[in-house]
Amino acid sequence: MKKLLDKFLFAVMVLMVVAPAVSVFLWMLSLSLKNEVDTLAYPPALIPSAPTLDNFIAVFNGGPFFSYFLNSVIVSGAATLIAIAVGVPAGYGITRMKARKMLLTIMIARMTPAISFLIPLFTVFQAIGLTGTLAPIIVTHMVITLPITVYIVAGYFETLPRELEEAATMDGCSVWQSFRHVALPLARPGIMVAAILAFIFSWNNFVFGAVLAGRETRTLPVAIYNVLTFEQIAWGPLAAAALLVTLPVLILTLFIQKEIVGGLTAGGVKGS
Amino acid sequence: MSSVKLEQIRKDFGSTSIIKGVDLEIPHGEFAVFVGPSGCGKSTLLRMVAGLETPTSGNIFLGERRINDVPAKNRNVSMVFQSYALYPHMTVERNMGFGLMIAKTAPDMIRSKVEAAAKILGLDKLLTRLPRELSGGQRQRVAMGRAMVRNPEVFLFDEPLSNLDAKLRVQMRTEIRALHQRLGTTSIYVTHDQVEAMTMADRIVVLRDGLVEQIGSPTELYDRPVNTFVAAFIGSPSMNLLPGTVTSGAIAFGEGSRLALGGQQRAQDGDKLTIGVRPEDFRVVQAGAPGSLAAEVKVTEFTGADTQLVCTANGQEVIVVLHQRVSAQVGDKLGLIVEGESMHLFDTASGKRLG
Amino acid sequence: MSNLNSPADQPPRSLLARLLPSRLSPYVWFIVPALVVLMAIIIFPWGFTLWMSLFDWKIGSAATFIGLGNYADLVHDTRFLEAIFHTLYFTALAVILPLIFGTFAALIFNHKFPLRGLLRGMFLLPMMATPVAISLVWTMMFHPQQGVLNYLLSLVGIAPSEWVYSSALAIPCLVLVDVWQWSPLVMLIVLGGLASLPSDPFEAARLEGASTWQVFRHITFPMVLPFIMVAAVVRLIDALKTFDTIYVITQGGPGTASETINLYLYLQAFSFYQIGKASAVVVVFFVLVVALSLMLFWLRERSKWSDA
Repeated sequence: MKKLLDKFLFAVMVLMVVAPAVSVFLWMLSLSLKNEVDTLAYPPALIPSAPTLDNFIAVFNGGPFFSYFLNSVIVSGAATLIAIAVGVPAGYGITRMKARKMLLTIMIARMTPAISFLIPLFTVFQAIGLTGTLAPIIVTHMVITLPITVYIVAGYFETLPRELEEAATMDGCSVWQSFRHVALPLARPGIMVAAILAFIFSWNNFVFGAVLAGRETRTLPVAIYNVLTFEQIAWGPLAAAALLVTLPVLILTLFIQKEIVGGLTAGGVKGS
Repeated sequence: MSSVKLEQIRKDFGSTSIIKGVDLEIPHGEFAVFVGPSGCGKSTLLRMVAGLETPTSGNIFLGERRINDVPAKNRNVSMVFQSYALYPHMTVERNMGFGLMIAKTAPDMIRSKVEAAAKILGLDKLLTRLPRELSGGQRQRVAMGRAMVRNPEVFLFDEPLSNLDAKLRVQMRTEIRALHQRLGTTSIYVTHDQVEAMTMADRIVVLRDGLVEQIGSPTELYDRPVNTFVAAFIGSPSMNLLPGTVTSGAIAFGEGSRLALGGQQRAQDGDKLTIGVRPEDFRVVQAGAPGSLAAEVKVTEFTGADTQLVCTANGQEVIVVLHQRVSAQVGDKLGLIVEGESMHLFDTASGKRLG
Repeated sequence: MSNLNSPADQPPRSLLARLLPSRLSPYVWFIVPALVVLMAIIIFPWGFTLWMSLFDWKIGSAATFIGLGNYADLVHDTRFLEAIFHTLYFTALAVILPLIFGTFAALIFNHKFPLRGLLRGMFLLPMMATPVAISLVWTMMFHPQQGVLNYLLSLVGIAPSEWVYSSALAIPCLVLVDVWQWSPLVMLIVLGGLASLPSDPFEAARLEGASTWQVFRHITFPMVLPFIMVAAVVRLIDALKTFDTIYVITQGGPGTASETINLYLYLQAFSFYQIGKASAVVVVFFVLVVALSLMLFWLRERSKWSDA
């Protein structure tokens, strides 16, 4: 009997932990499906009486949503790809050279609020006259994508036994060949995780786009912020927009949640 | 052709000196075993021949070529690692063919060489497997196959059998030996296990603390160890070492315990000498017989073929191995005699062999 | 024993390696591209920031060198000083509360139960979701008339609150959002630690008759403390940097009630365009972050029970 009680209590605790996390998302979904009547109804109900997809349609019609979506994809995609291209070899080199100083630079990057980089970069971009394009946004997003890529990838390369590379050397490999044929294939899971995490954090970024983007070059988080008004309670479309913006990220998260549990803890426990 | 010569090799790591001056030469085709306790530097020497470490000073020659400045990947030397170091993401076939692929060998050539080596090692049915699907012994063979396939001038083995269970180890010892007889490649084999050294080597290099203690064939090392270290290291159970003082033609161990010295030993009264006697070189006689060492049995071990007696003589532990059934009981008192030729004499202070 | 590339002592070199001065490792080429990028986007901006902080510089006008003038001004700037206070208030709560909830969650998820993987994945969502999107939803939830939170309060008989429209409650509300969002990260770090703990001490304690609470208090907690400290440092840095949530939900209001240093910084730089002054704020802020982090690092060292 006691066992049953214990199990029940445990289940309650699990619920207490998970429910708050999930409920906000459920509420977001609920708001996005409500028509005006339901939105203004009091008491607010979880399940709308007349669920509708009108809000989503309004989002697509109300502004160049696809164009903003594309901006986000381009910016985060490019920032992630460059981070991988440059960061994976760097992570490898750091572990092989035991170059702790690079990691220090990355720590500094992490400790500084993003805005600090914005100020000088913004000044420079203004002077060069690039503020109308996506390029400066991509460059600035690398502040986010590069450090996390190097950090995670370096962690993976650390776990690679040196003997494997010595064997490759004995087999006649140069440093580059040993990297290409042995280290790289074995670090592929780590590279995937790093890429997805970098993409997610870049996608979520608001501040860089807010400062650097013009009307056409906004990324999604910036775009939906500008939709917010306090006078009217046009919550339906707002909730719908919010949902659309964050949905890709949520899906990616569920996709790699096992790796996140592995990857972030390794970095978190080891490094900062 | 593919002999290996180390000349005045020294290796320092920071302020610690690991190799303190090693000279040795391994002629072409010889199976040389480097043996010694942990930390003696045997692996470091091996890795210097491989090119994975650089000597702080001294020269390494492969044949007539001085290879100090030749990078490991260009030395045409193969290594079998203690943990096999198989590429986990490649099949057995790709593992074995990897070196050839890097050397830009034609794919058909690679395939035929890999298949030939696989056949010799009994791996031909396993070519498409991944390392994690193989047993320890199989992985060991793949590691050897990978080393073989490139036809190197020298094979290097870094304690390859340490990770195997005892039975497999014995089996692999024979296989490696057979392989060497078949291929005839110069080989350097590092181990801490003196049994492996004794059973596999053409010549053994005994190392301690970064210096060579003795180089010789197994028989030489067994019959004429050059100092007490080698004497105790080689042979199992170890040689008994009994320090004492020479008194009128015999060695006295205190309290009247003495062992007669053989005629050919020229030692002075008062010399402090250590006698070395292998456990199987003792003869058991009546306790108190003249010229015998008084001993009391503490433990008897019966191994089927032999009887092993652990005795105390004069406060010291003495191990006796008899190749027959003997009904000795714990507490029995016996006398031990040694034939003159089976007695090794060492100077107690320096540990060096006399005569 | 493997030190394939210890700095002063390397194996003989391949062709690629010989292209470099002999003291450099051949792996340098791997790092160079990343180094270039880091110089451009992190090191250079930092240097530039330090330099700009010495000027009175508004975008569009000329810059005047004023040495440490900006820093002197900050000392007297009441708004800035209040911002520091708000920041510390927010950060203290935003570090401690997630530590508690995250650790609790980690303890729960350390046990096996059906659907654990899925539920854990769901628990992770708040920290991965787009902060702006989430903040917008929270804004709607906080709404005094139409927001669902006041409705929930009414269900338990509590009077409706002004939530973020009250100066006193603004920061606590933001902390609530932050706790919701970042407890999962604490959970991840602590869970990783819990999973790495040896099971022997726990089994021994059970055999000796310890109750669940005693096991937690005397064994689990001390052993997991180093990981909690790691999470604390991570949370500290992130909490100090919080921007999106505050900007979207309160814009630092009502008035300046929830204006943290970060918000103040944004204002100076991109509303007032006073980049000289803003740069000084960045420097001061960084010093603050480093000081607090070092303090926590020190605490963390003291809590270690192994060489891990």
